[in-house]
Amino acid sequence: MRLTNKFFKVLAMSNHILFCFVLLFNSGCIENKKIAQKPGVLLWAENCQRCHNTPSPSSFSASQWETIGLHMQSRALLTENEKNKIVAFLQSGGR
Amino acid sequence: MKVNYQLIRIFFVSILFCAVDISLAQQDKKINDSLSANNLVIDSSLYYRVEKIEKEVAQEKKGESNFLVVGLATMGFVLNNNISNINGVKSNTKTNSLADADRFEISPLMLWRHGKKLLIEFEPSWDGKSLGVNWGDVSYFVKPGFIVRGGYLVLPFGIYNKRLAAGWINKLGSDPVGVANYPPSSDFGVEIEGGLPLGAMKWSYDISLTNGMQLMNDGTIQNVGIVDNNRNKTITGRLSLFPFSNSSLELGISGLHGGIGDDNSIHKSATTTMYSFDLNYVKTITSILVNVKAQFNNISISNERYFSPVDSSLYTFSNQTSSFFGQLSLRPTKAPGILKNFELAGRYVTYNTPLNSTLGAITNEYDIGLNCWISWRSVLKVVYENRAVKNIVPVNLGGYQSNTNLYKRLIIQYSVQF
Repeated sequence: MRLTNKFFKVLAMSNHILFCFVLLFNSGCIENKKIAQKPGVLLWAENCQRCHNTPSPSSFSASQWETIGLHMQSRALLTENEKNKIVAFLQSGGR
Repeated sequence: MKVNYQLIRIFFVSILFCAVDISLAQQDKKINDSLSANNLVIDSSLYYRVEKIEKEVAQEKKGESNFLVVGLATMGFVLNNNISNINGVKSNTKTNSLADADRFEISPLMLWRHGKKLLIEFEPSWDGKSLGVNWGDVSYFVKPGFIVRGGYLVLPFGIYNKRLAAGWINKLGSDPVGVANYPPSSDFGVEIEGGLPLGAMKWSYDISLTNGMQLMNDGTIQNVGIVDNNRNKTITGRLSLFPFSNSSLELGISGLHGGIGDDNSIHKSATTTMYSFDLNYVKTITSILVNVKAQFNNISISNERYFSPVDSSLYTFSNQTSSFFGQLSLRPTKAPGILKNFELAGRYVTYNTPLNSTLGAITNEYDIGLNCWISWRSVLKVVYENRAVKNIVPVNLGGYQSNTNLYKRLIIQYSVQF
């Protein structure tokens, strides 16, 4: 009986994980055209201030911004497009 | 026959000099040919130096690797006024301190990127009483929206510990009691996560599999560490949705489940199930930056038997803990002069530990603070905290008829990200 319960628990958990992966790989790339065209400066203003003040582009070098971009992509769960555009904006010195 | 070694030595040295001279002459010829081809006149020693630098630069592959130390420091001054009332007997304790373990921290964060897909993060931390590690992990960015991580990682449970706990990000002077420290925030394991677009919205997922926590003899749970206490693992996950295209609102839901009992103990089948809801809203409304943050945690531990501290008999209780914090801050970002650097923040925190146990307490806290932003990453805060704790440990478990504590604090704190 306990074994059956355990089996159903594992099955339920596997289903949840499977559901997440289906969502991830099937709907992961759908992006509104308007959203895809947002410039880096707008994404920088919208996303950084969700947790802290928007950083000054002169605070770090281009190579350092690339490292911070990866760190923030995982911490704030930015999309790839957002991360790339924000890093490019910061690397350009805010231009 | 007598061998003239001196002559032989002179002969070989002469040959060596000739060879070196020929080689240098050939090199000089090459330099001169190259310079004359470009109509340049340059000293050969300068040429060698430039050539050496060019070789060094060629060896440095652009963007290949970068080691960066950032981090944060938080320090300040705390005035404490504690009023306790046990069975009608009042006492008052006033203290003040420059460094306070709950409000002091130095945490350098080391980021080591190799290429564009591999990142090592390590953040040790010293809070004045202990030196610890907040997290230390390796992340591999497999594809857009899919990151794999392993090591000592921050559990994806709620929003506070992973995103808002840093002193220069937290708008008030201390972490919200309960939300920040219970359950423990970091564990050893593996994690997958990613942020993905969803039409005009976006969403994110974050799932980890870790060693899990350990049930203590009083019914609390703590970090189990690198050597697990049982064969069970703990699964934690958070899903979040950004319903607006400007990312101003984030709604998150988290869950955690795992075995927590020591193998071969009376708690060996003990499990915990937790859930959490969080909200993050940041938007400029008529020149005021409105910032709302909230999180609710519920922790449930299976019914277990514990030893009474009074007579060592076994007793049981419903091991349910809940905590909540709601925070609002306002900053007039378009105001003239220095006014735009000020931010007003308020927070309510509640933390309820299990009734009918040695842990029973109801905590309510109100905080209000005025922050002055010196730069985008450094802030001076003046915060007043008022925390009321009503201990409700039953008399038969060693509690008092009535036991309340009121903690009033004035905190002046400086925090910087570097």
